Order: sequence, then C-alpha cells, then structure tokens
Amino acid sequence: MASAGYSAVVDRLMSALGRLPGIGARSSERLAHHLLKCPPEEAIELADAIRSARDRIRHCQVCFHLTETDEPLCSICRDPRRDPSTVCVVEQSRDLIAMEKAATFQGVYHVLLGRLAPLSGIGPEQLTIDALAARVQSGTIRELIMATNPNLEGDGTALLVANRLGDSGVKITRLARGLATGSTLEFANRDMLADAFSGRHPL
Amino acid sequence: MPTSRTLAIVIRTIEVFETSLVATLFTRELGKVGVLAKGARRPKSSMQGGLDLLGLSDIVLIPKASEALDLLTEAAPVERFAPLRRDLASLYAGYYVAELLNELTDLHDPHPKLFDAARITLRHLGEPELRSRRVLRFELACLRELGLMPALESCAHCGAPVEPRGGTIWFGLATGGILCEACRTGPPHVVAITSGELEAIRALASPGDAWRRLDPTSTGLARARETVGAVISHVLGHRPRLRPLLGVSTE
Repeated sequence: MASAGYSAVVDRLMSALGRLPGIGARSSERLAHHLLKCPPEEAIELADAIRSARDRIRHCQVCFHLTETDEPLCSICRDPRRDPSTVCVVEQSRDLIAMEKAATFQGVYHVLLGRLAPLSGIGPEQLTIDALAARVQSGTIRELIMATNPNLEGDGTALLVANRLGDSGVKITRLARGLATGSTLEFANRDMLADAFSGRHPL
Repeated sequence: MPTSRTLAIVIRTIEVFETSLVATLFTRELGKVGVLAKGARRPKSSMQGGLDLLGLSDIVLIPKASEALDLLTEAAPVERFAPLRRDLASLYAGYYVAELLNELTDLHDPHPKLFDAARITLRHLGEPELRSRRVLRFELACLRELGLMPALESCAHCGAPVEPRGGTIWFGLATGGILCEACRTGPPHVVAITSGELEAIRALASPGDAWRRLDPTSTGLARARETVGAVISHVLGHRPRLRPLLGVSTE
C-alpha cells in the first residue's frame, strides 16, 4: 500500500532502498528522489549493475572470496605464484581486499563469510569453518593466519577456529596487534600498550 | 549542553553508516541506554577500544529527549575481561550475561548492584570450576534486582512455611517460588524440586561463600540450574538464545 502520498511504485523503490545497510527512511526517500530525477540511463545502469552482479558473482569454491560464475576459483586461488600452504583467514571479502591492497601477503585466503556473533544469531554453522577444516585435512596447509578483527567477536571467531582445528597439526597464528607504525606512545591507550608489550619481539 | 559520565558495559553494537556505531550500553548510573557513536570506527577515533563488546568503559554521553538515541561523546576502555578472549566457554557465558542485561532491563532504569554483579561475573568467568555457579548467581542477581526473585523460604502464594514432603517441594515458575501443599494445585507451571535443589538455590542466592562449597557434580546443583533457567525463560517469555551454548561451560 502506498504511504505519505507516494504511488505504490515509488513506495516499493523506497522500501527496497531502505533495506540496504545504513539506509534509513529519510535516506531511502532521498535516494529514490535522486533516481527519479537523474538521467534515465544512469538509473537503468545502476539497476543493470545490480542485476548483473547478482547473476554473475558467486563464491570461490575453495576460499569463498567473490568470483564470476564462469570461474569456479577466484583469481587468487588460480594464481600459481601464490603459496597455498599459508592461508590467511578473514571474516569477509572486504577484509581480503584490504590485505591485497597492502600487497604484503603472498599466501592464499579463506573467507569465513561472517564472524561468530551468537547475540545476533550467527553461530559456527553460519560460517565456512567446515570448508576450512576440509582444506586443512587435504594436507597442503602448513599455517593458518587468523586475521579476524581485533575485537571480542573477532577474537571469539579465532578462538572457535583454533578450538576446532587445534589438533590438526597445522600451525595457527594470530595477526600481531599493538602500536601502529608512525604513531606515538604518548597517545596510545592502555590496551594498545598492553598488546604491544605482550607481542614484543627480539631485535 | 548537559552531559552524563558513568561506567558502562557494552552489551550490543551495530555498525551504521560509514564509520559510526549504534551501541546498547548497560551503565552503572543511568541503566541501559542506546547511544549513537559518530565516527567510532574511524582509525583515529578517540573511542577506539572503548566500544568493544563486553568491555567496561568510562563514557560521556549527551542524553536526548524522547526515544532518540543518546549521543556518545567519549568512551575510554577501563577493563577488558581477558578470559573471554582465551576460552570459548567463558566467551559464551559472557555473551549470556550481555543477553540477560539487554533483555531483562528497561531503558534508563538504573541498577548499580546488578552492574557490579555483572562486572564481577565477567571478571571471574575464567575460573572453569566456578563458572556455571557464577552464571547461576548472576541469573539470581538479575531476578533479585528486578523484583522477580523467587520465594525460597515460605510459600510464594500464601506465605505459610513450606515443609518438604518425601524430599519434594513444589516450585511455581509463574507464581514466583516454592509453594505449600495447599497452594500447589491451581497455579500453572508448577514443578517438583528436591530439598537438595532448594538448598543449592538458597546458597547461590545468599551473599556468603556457601555457594562455593556446593558439590559441582551434585544433581541438586544441576537441577537448580534447570529450575533457575526455567524461571528466566518464563520471565523473558522465551528461552535465552545463548542458553544452549552454556552447555560447553558445564562443570
């Protein structure tokens, strides 16, 4: 049913936009007005891009990063220069992209497609831990680097993976944390300093 | 603009917009509050680390009128409960504490004693031999603070003394405590508990140290856990989401 004087079509558009993350009622109304005001081809291009992405993008069969439907493996898993024995485990593809932009890691990845968040109804079964366990059992992996976010949910997710795969014989490590390069001690908070002390290494 | 400063436990966070967070905080002086933390996820945010789930922070907020979210202006981490990051059973128990605080309390209804009980519980969840008893004590602390503590000394319905009959005592989940023989028929949701189970609940609800000496393998303690869990579920109207996961923390 149309609301606030809008036709059912506009109402449907606003309702669809309002379901996007971070978009509330006012933002969805503003975006709908923009789409109705901009050149038609611009709006159609957006619609086509959404449809095309939904139709053509799948998860990589090995690491669960995004890939196109005609490629069962993503570009990283297909790259022969990457070291398949070192796997960096991340929560989502956006984290993988951040790692790739840094260009410091030559191994491969595993995307969990989320993090352990029982308060939000996300348990181990919603993550790709079974697939990760199968990769570990294949015997090609020497080290899992847990690169989940450095917060309680990220730490919990890392703990869950470590518990599950702790007996597999694979080395499981966690990304270092503490002081950021270029920062100053004066402005570091207590947690940063505690992490930096506990994670210190010989020179 | 008037501000309020208090200690807070972060019990829920939701990412909004590019860099902001909406958080539910259980504060010592203001009770449960919903806040908007603008820019809290920016790399150089002054609130970084202060809004990590189940962390204790010193916060400053600007209260908003009506039902709008309060505006969080500062959140400095005070205490991180390290056991939650080392042990999955402790983590699930911590999440359960957060779930109870979020679901059992109302906005802007302060309960300083419950805040202190939550802080102590979170601090000591790393002790595996006492963990489930600490969780039980926290459940009872919630019920006591909210005025829902089951009657454990006399009949919840008529106030008469209750004598165990053949070692069995009737416990009304809806009536709110033990029931005498005369009152046990009629009220719905009445279960039978043993006198050992009642003693265990009494010890867990008491301020002394008797709860520490309870035999962790006794059936009385196990049944006490079930009964108190049933009361919590009855109060909430549903089973807490984290309750099945507490299985990993049984002693």
